[in-house]
Amino acid sequence: MKRKQTAFTCVRYLLLIIIMVFLLFPIYWMVVTALKTNMEAYLYPPTFLPEEPTTASFKSLLTTNNQFFVYYKNNFIVAGFAALFSTLIALTSGYTLSRFHFKWNKWILAALMSSQMFPVVSRMISLYGLLGKANLINTRTGLILAVVAAQVPFCVMLMSSFYDSIPRELEEAATVDGAKRFATLFRVIIPLVKPGIVAVGIYSFLMTWDDYLHAATLIQTDSLRTLSVGIALRYLGELSYDWSLVNAISVVGALPMVLLFIFFQKYMVKGLVAGAVKG
Amino acid sequence: MRKRFMAATMTAALLAVTVLGAGCSQKAETPTTAAPAATENSKAEAADGTEAASEAAGDEITEPVTIKFANYALLEQGYEEFWNNVKSGFEAENPNITIEYVTAPYGEIVNQVINMAGGGDRVDMIFGEIGWVSGLADSGLTVPIEEVLPADYLADFYPAVLESFEIDGKAYGLPMYISPYVLYYNKDLFEQAGLDPNTPPATFDEMLEYAEKLSQLTDANGNKVYAFGQTTASVPVSGSSINAMILNYGGTLLDEEGNLSIDNQGFKDAISMIKLLDEKGYNPQNAKLKDLRNLFALGQLAMYYDQSWGFNGVSSINPDAKNFTASAKPLKGGAGDGASLLQAHCLMYADNGDLQKAACKKFTEYLITSEILGDYMVNITPAYPAKTAMEGGEMNPVLEGATGSAENVVAQTFVPTLSDLNLELCTLAQGVTVSGKDVDTAIEEFKKAAEGILN
Amino acid sequence: MKQSMMTKTGKDKLFSLLLAAPAIIMTVIFILVPVVDSVIKSFTEYKIKNIISGKPGTWNNFKNYTKLFQNAKLPQAISNTFIYVLVVVIAVFILGMILALILNSGVKAAKIIQGVMMTPWVIPTVISALIWMWLFQPQYGLVKYLVSVATGGAVNDLAVLNNPKTALMGISIASLWKQVPLMTLLLLAGLQNVPEELFEAATVDGANKVQRFFHITLPSMRSVIAVAVSMSIIENFKQFPLFWTMTGGGPDGATTTLAILSYREAFVSQDLGSGAAVTTVWMLLMIVVTYFFNKAMKREETA
Repeated sequence: MKRKQTAFTCVRYLLLIIIMVFLLFPIYWMVVTALKTNMEAYLYPPTFLPEEPTTASFKSLLTTNNQFFVYYKNNFIVAGFAALFSTLIALTSGYTLSRFHFKWNKWILAALMSSQMFPVVSRMISLYGLLGKANLINTRTGLILAVVAAQVPFCVMLMSSFYDSIPRELEEAATVDGAKRFATLFRVIIPLVKPGIVAVGIYSFLMTWDDYLHAATLIQTDSLRTLSVGIALRYLGELSYDWSLVNAISVVGALPMVLLFIFFQKYMVKGLVAGAVKG
Repeated sequence: MRKRFMAATMTAALLAVTVLGAGCSQKAETPTTAAPAATENSKAEAADGTEAASEAAGDEITEPVTIKFANYALLEQGYEEFWNNVKSGFEAENPNITIEYVTAPYGEIVNQVINMAGGGDRVDMIFGEIGWVSGLADSGLTVPIEEVLPADYLADFYPAVLESFEIDGKAYGLPMYISPYVLYYNKDLFEQAGLDPNTPPATFDEMLEYAEKLSQLTDANGNKVYAFGQTTASVPVSGSSINAMILNYGGTLLDEEGNLSIDNQGFKDAISMIKLLDEKGYNPQNAKLKDLRNLFALGQLAMYYDQSWGFNGVSSINPDAKNFTASAKPLKGGAGDGASLLQAHCLMYADNGDLQKAACKKFTEYLITSEILGDYMVNITPAYPAKTAMEGGEMNPVLEGATGSAENVVAQTFVPTLSDLNLELCTLAQGVTVSGKDVDTAIEEFKKAAEGILN
Repeated sequence: MKQSMMTKTGKDKLFSLLLAAPAIIMTVIFILVPVVDSVIKSFTEYKIKNIISGKPGTWNNFKNYTKLFQNAKLPQAISNTFIYVLVVVIAVFILGMILALILNSGVKAAKIIQGVMMTPWVIPTVISALIWMWLFQPQYGLVKYLVSVATGGAVNDLAVLNNPKTALMGISIASLWKQVPLMTLLLLAGLQNVPEELFEAATVDGANKVQRFFHITLPSMRSVIAVAVSMSIIENFKQFPLFWTMTGGGPDGATTTLAILSYREAFVSQDLGSGAAVTTVWMLLMIVVTYFFNKAMKREETA
């Protein structure tokens, strides 16, 4: 029995190590490549530690390629507002889905479900025309609207499952007390779904951070571009790769997200638990 | 009953929202319909003759005007500085004209321009490759260059080069500079293999002999050296490179009317050669041009086909590359005389009214001169001039070996779906290489697919 | 009179609709209208010309569809998409479950590991694609080197993304890498929610670890699994940037999924009608798949 237990522990740790290496080694490789010169990056067999570590790529990022920081700022603005609006919409609309079970709920749900599945490519042309008429092409507002619309379905559904976990009696009690519906919602219910707000907000933030097609199509001015598009567009030319620089950018680009996640991890995990485990 | 009533009301409300939405987009379309009318108008004016254009353009521009210039090169490190200098230099000379760059990466810029036009926002100028001309012209986005530039200005461009931009007798793109696909080779590797670095191969058969020796080599780190690079990855420019190889063999892809014409020995020979190169392990599999440039820069590729300006990519990876790089004319194969496909970076214009066109004309005249392009073509983007006035200028030393190859070029037959056809050529090349299909089967499949594209 | 008609249900309906309005309006204007527009276009000859001139497309008798089916591109794209979705979703689920079980079993530093493991998830897709392209690079890539060492030099020219037989697998690995963390997080959360009492009862009954996992853990995690897996299905069905950056659909069409095909038809071939036809088929398939998945999960629930 004891031996079996030990063997089991060994297998467990072995598996853990294998999976973690799979998940983390590519990141290590990215950091190491960023610290190599291009000529060393192209060595075969590769060097696992840079022979002559250089921060040249990071320096060039700060000096000659500092456009990067404009992308960075834009990405924070766009992702921040997108997260804000998605969360607000999810708060109100998610409540409806969770609490009322009318016939059309099924249709709203179906519409939201299917909306998540519609590929961005298929709506790009129409979307472009639509935003064009509203003079919102090549503006952050337009991009935020488009991105929020793409995220609303999922956020609403995620939020509604948070509401599901709140006992109905609370509202009924409040209603009996004579409180107005909106007041009930905002004073009583919403404070209870804080983990949901954080979860939806961060999810939306991350998805916007990752958005490629919207930003690539709807933004044409370099000074308005967001990070992942900016990187793909500016630093991955047709002419050649500059792997050290690209890896340096990846490092700097991923860092705030990692920090953000570590900081909010508690809420995020709690939120997603509550969201995923309905009731 | 009541429930049903409510449901009906809600449905109506939903419908109203939908109709409203639809209504919005309906309404939104009106300006677009108005736009073509305006275009029609100015077209009619332009049809009065190029005179109108030159007259309008001849005048000094007194009111402020901004031209939108779609240019992917702004995002390429090797080119960025040049284009920024062009902008500041031109704006200093013409304080009334502002250049606004519209950027997107190489692979996306055409979509960007189209999407913008779909939203009613048209760029005035596009910097691109010759392969884009037909698609953009077919879409109605670009106009013949004679509507923007006066005849006497155009007369200075090599007529044969301008002809390769023609659709129904009118050129839709203005070449800035030109290049065939040249053969770049590594002199150091040639020496190591006991070959004379000054006599590059002239035919595919010679190339195979050289390749046998070159493929024995390894680089300083013991890595394999590839003998001969021909791009086959799925990007349109790879297709046009394969098309150039077909021309090397005297074969054809399209006839002059733009019909598929591949039942010729040259076509089959070229595809067989791609297969052979792969079987012998000479050619890096499924490589993009930039992969080949990387390998070449690192001394792991002895010879490869590229546009002349591809050298910019090579030297940006390894600044020492100019010491070992040399060029040669395209190889001759079979009954062919080593003809290649004309490649060019070119300017295309949209019709956004006379003022815009006049500003574009000014900008073009500023740009395509030895003063502006001379240094660029020597040091940044090795290429051959397209304009007589720029002849005899200094040439990038790496291009010396390929001198004369710019004359032996075939113009691309334009079909609107050229990019797609080029991608299908890549699929064919991948079929005989990485998928291991035999040449005849793969060509049959290609034929079927290509006919679908052309019809 | 009217007052009396506004019963509690009536008020509920109005209130609920008011709250739902923002989501409905956003979805209708930005998603449903464009999508319907796209479906309509799929039945017409609609090219760039039409956009520029503002002319509507002309009905072309299902030509977009017949053309796609005739040249075998669509069936290939459909099968590539299904293989990819199936492989990735199953692999992500299994790996995520293993990792979640380990982290939930009281290993040392589980909290820290859990935080660190999320890193791939927050790295933008485009960057992930590049990281893996770099690892798979055919000449100086690390994977080639490792495989060559592991096989004692027997396989020394592995070029994952250049071989039609392995390219799809290469992309799947990259996508696995990015998706395992979230799956693990969700499943871990689900695991932690399984009531202890159930286990205690089962242990008393003498059930072993495996039995407990299949009879207690899995069923009580059903709703988490349903959410996590359906998210994964949708995300992978839609995956575009990964394919576009890593292979562009090649080599020889081996990684041409519906996403790539529609983009190529619409924006590379500039035949928007044909591209719209692909997206229409794509959407239908996705709806069918998720419908059956949800139905299956529901049946489990009632069983």
